[in-house]
Amino acid sequence: MIKVENVTKRFGQHVAVDNLNFTVNEGEVVGFLGPNGAGKSTTMNIITGYISATEGTVTVDGYDILDNPEEVKKRIGYLPEFPPLYIDMTVKEFLNFVFEIKKANTKNKKQEMERIMELVRITDVQNRLIKNLSKGYKQRVGLAQALVGNPSVLILDEPTVGLDPKQIIEIRNLIKDLGRKHTIILSSHILPEVSAVCERVIIINKGKIVASDTPENLSRRLGESSKLTLRIAAEEKQAIKVLRDVAGIKYVEAQGVKEPDTVDVWVEAEKDIDVRKPIFNALSRAGYPILQMKSMDLTLEEIFLQVTTQENGEVS
Amino acid sequence: MLAVYKRELRAYFTSSTGFIFMGFFLLLSGFFYAMTNIFGASPDYNSVLGNITFIFLIVVPILTMRLMPDDKRQRTDQLLYTSPLSISGIVLGKYLAAVTVFFLTLLVTCLYPVIMSFFGDIAVWEIVGGYIGFLLLGSSFISIGLFVSSLTDNQVIAAVVTFSSLLFVWLIDWIAQGLPTDKVSGIVFASILALAAGAFVYYNTKNIYVGVATTLVGAAVIVATYFLADRYFFDGFIVRVFEWFSLLKRYEEFQMGVLSLAPIVYYITFSAAFNFMTIRVIEKRRWS
Ligand SMILES: Nc1ncnc2c1ncn2[C@@H]1O[C@H](COP(=O)(O)OP(=O)(O)OP(=O)(O)O)[C@@H](O)[C@H]1O
Ligand SMILES: [Mg+2]
Repeated sequence: MIKVENVTKRFGQHVAVDNLNFTVNEGEVVGFLGPNGAGKSTTMNIITGYISATEGTVTVDGYDILDNPEEVKKRIGYLPEFPPLYIDMTVKEFLNFVFEIKKANTKNKKQEMERIMELVRITDVQNRLIKNLSKGYKQRVGLAQALVGNPSVLILDEPTVGLDPKQIIEIRNLIKDLGRKHTIILSSHILPEVSAVCERVIIINKGKIVASDTPENLSRRLGESSKLTLRIAAEEKQAIKVLRDVAGIKYVEAQGVKEPDTVDVWVEAEKDIDVRKPIFNALSRAGYPILQMKSMDLTLEEIFLQVTTQENGEVS
Repeated sequence: MLAVYKRELRAYFTSSTGFIFMGFFLLLSGFFYAMTNIFGASPDYNSVLGNITFIFLIVVPILTMRLMPDDKRQRTDQLLYTSPLSISGIVLGKYLAAVTVFFLTLLVTCLYPVIMSFFGDIAVWEIVGGYIGFLLLGSSFISIGLFVSSLTDNQVIAAVVTFSSLLFVWLIDWIAQGLPTDKVSGIVFASILALAAGAFVYYNTKNIYVGVATTLVGAAVIVATYFLADRYFFDGFIVRVFEWFSLLKRYEEFQMGVLSLAPIVYYITFSAAFNFMTIRVIEKRRWS
């Protein structure tokens, strides 16, 4: 469906995207993960035809973005990093405008507009000026704009940025739903977000792909469950002493007291060993109740450290 | 194109630049009208139109400065350029929206001659001719303003540069008078043009050979013209070149109430050329 071949983008001397190659199949939901400046937005801008690649080709449905821009653009709905909105229009006027420029002026435009507004839940703000909407609602209008014309491909650049937690969940669920009918590429800084909605994750760093796999495989490879934080009703020294004796634990560190008469502890286990049951047993035997135990989400930096060192052949 | 046109037209009146433009224009034209036709008791309305061409220097930048930079600032250019619209459709939509605001303003000024007609006969067809010329002249200025606005992301810079460019065009006849008319400077000037053409081609193609070839062809044409065609071609050459750009000179005929094809074609070509350059600049900026 989407084929990116040898795409390089240079801004002057600076290489933003470096010889990128990947394909996205019809109906797939792919996540783009990478730190600031990795080249996510630049790649998306190239696929959507906003800017051109310095080298390489992009095809959508067999159409080349340079040779057949109109055919490609008809197939893509794009939500850029900053939603492109005419803030002096009402939501409805703006969507009307988008229908016109996308040449999606069909007979049942009215119903289609209702459907989209219902989907992203902006029906009740449809007559308000966009400039008076909150950030989250602006983001939704941006998403609505991308859905106009029912394009088969959706490209969403950090779709949940700036939303409150409840809205984040809503939008993620919406994207999951959309994933049944559309091919989607979305970008994010947050691994759990990508794992929640994507079938495949492409991690890019400094314009290059450093890993591409299913979220499950990536998590396994990265040993996501090997780091835990615990809150234990015990003295710091006693708790640490007990934990040090549990087999399979590589490293223990006290994190200080966050709640009276408890201690927070950070535990790292050996690779591929589930230490949660042994920890529970050891602490209950010693008479120290566990008040909280959770797996740590890896930060992006940690993932990068891991992925990049692995790719360099450090792992046998 | 229609969608962009409608949206820009609307924006003129939601952002008040449309009203500022109209206000300025009506105020200044009204002043000149009052001085000439009412207090001066002159029945000659066309001379008012002829005298107020300087207004364009002030009002056209107001009209055009936000056309391109505004989309950049709001990032709506991302919406436009990733939609199936063509760049030419976008540029023409914007251009026609600005011309429409100007046209509407001119319609209001039609009241002036109508008022005059209550007090005596007016030369209706001459005035119609004057208006057509005025509309074409203004549209040409607008195309320059739109072009300038595509070169920068900053509205203030766009306004200042537009003002300077229009001032240059407005003064071009006067400047041309002071330029040398002898053969040698004509040939030197033609050579500079050939060099500039070569540089332009090189800039666009990044191919030094094509650029040099263009300059050489230009040089060959100069030599051939001089030795084979017309020995006197380069006398007054600079002045003639400058006169090509003289928008106001073409307006003189309209002002006398004469409608002829040549100046109409000239103005339309002028606008078309500038709109074409605007389209090229935008494509170039995105494709680099
Ligand atoms: N128009 C531009 N001119 C010059 N450099 C640019 C331009 N756009 C992007 N860059 C550079 O290209 C690199 C990649 O930028 P890009 O916006 O694609 O990163 P990103 O992965 O989207 O980052 P973020 O997570 O911050 O959105 C950055 O180093 C950026 O500074
Ligand atoms: Mg980005």
